[in-house]
Amino acid sequence: MSLLAVSGLTKRYRRGGGTVAAVDGVAFAIEPGETLALAGPSGSGKSTIARLVLRLTEPDAGTIQFEGADFRSLGGSALRARRARLQMVFQDPLAAFNPRATVARVLDDPLRIHGIASRTERPRRIAALLERVGLGADLAPRAIHEISGGQRQRVAIARAIATKPSLIVLDEAVSALDVSVRGRILDLLLDLQATERIAYLFISHDLGVVRAVAHRLVILDAGRVAESGDARAVIGNPQSAIGRALVAAAPRLNRTTAP
Amino acid sequence: MSRLHRFLRSPEAIAGTAILALLFAMALTAPLLFPGDPQAIAGPALLPPFQDWSLPLGTDRLGRDVLAELFHGARTSLAVGLSAAGAALLIGAVVGTLAGFAGGLIDEVLMRITDAFQTVPGFLLALAFVSIVGPSLGVVVAAIALGAWTGPARVARAEVLSIRERDYVAGARVIGMHPLEIAFREVLPNALPPVLALSSVIVAAAILTEAALSFLGLGDPNRVTWGAMIAEGRAVLRTTPFLSIIPGIALVLTVLGVYLAGEGVVETTAVRRSLS
Amino acid sequence: MTALLSIRDLTVSYRGDGREVPALRGVSLEIEAGERLAIIGESGSGKSTLALAIAGLLARGARIGGAIEWAMPNLQMPHSFAPPSVLPDISPTRGEISSSVAGTSFSTSMIGESGNEKAISPLVGEMSGRTEGGAVERRPLHLGSAVPRLGRDIGFVFQDPSSSLDPVMPVGKQIAEVALTHLGLSWPQAYAHAKTLLERVRLPDPDASMRAYPHQLSGGQKQRVAIAAAIAAGPKLLIADEATSALDTIVQAEIVSLIRRLVAEDGMTLLFISHDIALAAELAERIAVFRYGELLELGTTAQIVNAPRHAYTRALLDAHLGLDAGPLRQAGAPA
Ligand SMILES: Nc1ncnc2c1ncn2[C@@H]1O[C@H](COP(=O)(O)OP(=O)(O)OP(=O)(O)O)[C@@H](O)[C@H]1O
Ligand SMILES: [Mg+2]
Repeated sequence: MSLLAVSGLTKRYRRGGGTVAAVDGVAFAIEPGETLALAGPSGSGKSTIARLVLRLTEPDAGTIQFEGADFRSLGGSALRARRARLQMVFQDPLAAFNPRATVARVLDDPLRIHGIASRTERPRRIAALLERVGLGADLAPRAIHEISGGQRQRVAIARAIATKPSLIVLDEAVSALDVSVRGRILDLLLDLQATERIAYLFISHDLGVVRAVAHRLVILDAGRVAESGDARAVIGNPQSAIGRALVAAAPRLNRTTAP
Repeated sequence: MSRLHRFLRSPEAIAGTAILALLFAMALTAPLLFPGDPQAIAGPALLPPFQDWSLPLGTDRLGRDVLAELFHGARTSLAVGLSAAGAALLIGAVVGTLAGFAGGLIDEVLMRITDAFQTVPGFLLALAFVSIVGPSLGVVVAAIALGAWTGPARVARAEVLSIRERDYVAGARVIGMHPLEIAFREVLPNALPPVLALSSVIVAAAILTEAALSFLGLGDPNRVTWGAMIAEGRAVLRTTPFLSIIPGIALVLTVLGVYLAGEGVVETTAVRRSLS
Repeated sequence: MTALLSIRDLTVSYRGDGREVPALRGVSLEIEAGERLAIIGESGSGKSTLALAIAGLLARGARIGGAIEWAMPNLQMPHSFAPPSVLPDISPTRGEISSSVAGTSFSTSMIGESGNEKAISPLVGEMSGRTEGGAVERRPLHLGSAVPRLGRDIGFVFQDPSSSLDPVMPVGKQIAEVALTHLGLSWPQAYAHAKTLLERVRLPDPDASMRAYPHQLSGGQKQRVAIAAAIAAGPKLLIADEATSALDTIVQAEIVSLIRRLVAEDGMTLLFISHDIALAAELAERIAVFRYGELLELGTTAQIVNAPRHAYTRALLDAHLGLDAGPLRQAGAPA
């Protein structure tokens, strides 16, 4: 059974006089340990789908099955408890943390909320998490705004894996990073996937990145699925108009010498 | 450190802080310098200031030491002003945060209550409350806070509405944080700066309201207050105006000091924000 | 080719909370008239600082050393030596100036035009020995040369079009005002000019777009309007600072081809600032690579892409994930 299966997912927003369907009958599934990419132009509904899947926004219609249970029917403390298994990393790591937080607090919260470690045990767990994402434990007392963008995104990943999730939603999680930092973060994500069997819903408008990390790809256009399939196959031979436009628009280096 | 430096570079801030420091010194030293009951008779009635150096500011109609009353009055003014403003800010911040964060019906109900309180002038509200419950320090504080919490509530709600949409609030939900913890630990502290910017105005207004209540005889009868002193002096305003003027000046200076120091704080934090 | 401007030993540092943060360290570089030059680098490399320094837009607190010499015909002679925001902060820089690419072909037309002997002599000294450059770096920017005006001689396109557009003014009027200010047109002429510009940047329905407010336009459309405003006065130099970074790939490609077309049509010089080496390579003829405020290398696009001299440039090229790149993981079924 799929780890996550959504179908008929629909969300409308009021705009001007009428309503626009930001997401319109979208269906897809993610298997355990798999990376499914969502790509599409701006406004095609990628972030809205992320918010719907995470129950940050309520859909108007559709079903969300997560780990074999109806995720939409959960509420209150049952939903909060289940959230441990479904985490998210945001695009802008600075905006994604309380501006007053320290690294330690950011990592302490999920451990405390889900009762994963006792108060005395938590500092060790925090140090271990930091180490897992390639950071030193000495970073713990630092304020979130005192560390670099790349370090911050690593802290965000550490927070996301603190509760041992089976799925992490990454909404443009590497788009704001410098290319050199981006490469190392992608390596970290792949390593986590290989060791912990975490699945990713990987949202990006950059097909180059998608091609490098995703198993399968769903291309969205105006809230609908334009096409989907094996990531390399779709990028290599896009069938939909929007797919062809995305492929054509990707900047190319045209190097004559091999890297 | 640099924030303190900037603060101390503004002359208004220095003046305001000096006045407040003097006021606090008066309030703290009052029981040491003037032990015993300030309302006890200390000498002949209506002694003018600067005549007798044991009673530097003279005495009132009942022969009470005006300087002692002034010092003890500072205690009341500060105590009432600060606690009423603190209570108003606390109530306002909590109500505004709940309304803004919860939204929907809770927001609607809380904001209609706020409207109701806001349409009645704060002073009338305080007056009515004290007349019904009876004058005592606690009641006066509650009465003043009752008329002053709506401003902070509105500011807090507006700020919370914008913070609510930020990614880090979504992030807190994603890790399963309880909504009340999100509201009060994640959102409220970040919504506080504009609310606290109101505090100087609210403290100043609270001190004035307290004085006005005492002036009308609705203050705590067991405590010396500047408002009551002014009311006392009013009976002999033509012959001995100093009895009203001295506490009047103290009141004006205090309000000015609170205001200037408050402005100084807001200004230095604003500079800091625009720099970062 | 002749140089449009030459930058000599440019040093800029910002003061932040008591500390001095260097943003550019002794950068020397010439921009040829009519070329498309890309400046690439990662965050903190100083690329935006360079753009702002050229446009005379540096923040008040910035310390500036070195010189930017212009060789634009028809420039006004300066009334003061430098933009007022720049002058008071001139002070000797510290000993952190590193070696730089010392171009020696100093534009003679520049010196002749400026006619300012004082401005030339320290520069000559500077070229012979950089180490004793302390006295040189005191010199304000633009000293002795004519000063170009932002809007008329330089068009600037920012990353966030919302920040450069007035939210409460119809976009047509905003563009017309640029033409009105710098071209001495009458209002109807300026308005007609603005409409032509909206057509040139391919905004759908230019008549309706003239009356639209920025918030009624998409990100890509706003950026087209910002470009129209930037080129309204027919500037010689167009600076685009991460002008496509906030846009999605499809819109980015459209804006890049729009910029390429406009620059060709108007014979403008383009300074294209980007963190994306592939994007820069698609648009520019030459690429300058910056890191930590230093110019690492400068060469033709083919040379930078195919035969980078610097290891950092090679790392940037390798980090690019193109549609033809090798996989980060072994292709195949999920682990
Ligand atoms: N809270 C909201 N209220 C109204 N409309 C919204 C809201 N959130 C999203 N939308 C609209 O829904 C559509 C999809 O937006 P969404 O943010 O999901 O796109 P996206 O694919 O993530 O785009 P981008 O690549 O720019 O991030 C857009 O038309 C957007 O304007
Ligand atoms: Mg999005």
